Amino acid sequence: MRKTRLLLLLFFGAALIWRPISLQAMDTEVDTIDELVSMFDESTCMDCHEEIHNQWAQSWHAQSVVSSLGSIHNFIEIGIKKEWETEVTKGHLLKCLDCHAPVINFASEKLAVEIADMIVTATKEKDTPAGEAAKKELAKLKVGCLSCHNLKALTVAPGWNGPREEGMIYGPHGEDAGDAHETLESIDMTRAAFCMQCHGIYTAADGETIQCNTLSGSYQNAYVAKGGSKTCQECHMDKGHYFPGGRDLDTVKQGIGFDVQINPYRHLPGQIKDVKDEKQWVPSAVVTVFIENRAGHRIPDG
Amino acid sequence: MFSDQKKYFEIGRDMAGRMRYGAWQIKEIVDLTLQPMETKKEQFLMNFDTDVEEVEVEAVLTYFVSGKKKDVVYSVKENLAFDID
Repeated sequence: MRKTRLLLLLFFGAALIWRPISLQAMDTEVDTIDELVSMFDESTCMDCHEEIHNQWAQSWHAQSVVSSLGSIHNFIEIGIKKEWETEVTKGHLLKCLDCHAPVINFASEKLAVEIADMIVTATKEKDTPAGEAAKKELAKLKVGCLSCHNLKALTVAPGWNGPREEGMIYGPHGEDAGDAHETLESIDMTRAAFCMQCHGIYTAADGETIQCNTLSGSYQNAYVAKGGSKTCQECHMDKGHYFPGGRDLDTVKQGIGFDVQINPYRHLPGQIKDVKDEKQWVPSAVVTVFIENRAGHRIPDG
Repeated sequence: MFSDQKKYFEIGRDMAGRMRYGAWQIKEIVDLTLQPMETKKEQFLMNFDTDVEEVEVEAVLTYFVSGKKKDVVYSVKENLAFDID
């Protein structure tokens, strides 16, 4: 009996030791936003990657939660509470924040519900001290460096790629960063499918499909289907990690062609009503406009 | 004197009252947006009064990124002169 117990304990011990590092991290759940942020500390990235950091700091990824408070608030208050008639859970919140702030995966159930409450407060009590305090706290949550360069780096094809390594930096080239950090190549990061994890139809753990925007649907079904072959990154990383989109006029101009041809002529007398002299030729013009969608998706969308 | 416009947009609610642009509802339906790899041709015919000698025609492409923010992407102006008989 003692021998059997010993064997079982040894087996259990071995199972813990050989668990993949990423799964250990997935089991770690914290109770405060500060703990959550410190788990994926990105404060040192800018020491070497200042230009990239400055680009990112101007991007919507850097304010991915606070810039979407209205939509997430509506999902919580109208979608979950009113239409679905249920209480908010971490599982519900992940339907927004797995993309808007992937670190939320490591929040405890209690913290996730608190964050949902903060989102409601920041929206409903906007411009009040309580609303501002909630927004300031929520501003710590974003699509940061490690959201793409670690958490989502391999998740396009998790079976093929295997689990991510905690602390590893994944990049498109896997270039060595000297003593600063290890880097592994993730080819997926150069593909449209990488962006489509969030910028398209997102399937939550319970099977719910979240269709915040259908850019990737349009990319696949309209653009690629017609022979287009550019990736998201080829246009939307023209300004590096600023990731310009519909709010950047240069990018909008890059995506839309506009050709106007104005042809004046004189219309036949007696054909146009309510002119001063129906016997006169009528000054007229035909304006022909050609609007070309040069983007890899429908316009507008977002 | 003359004004016309053509809008490209995501549609709102279907006949069952379900939003077609909301994140947590269904979106597939007639698509009124500009499609990729395609060029739309729009033609506007304008008639002026018989005593009009000069007209400024302006074609503007405006992009509404949200209900609150819009950008003029392109603007083309041309002056037309008409001889009165």
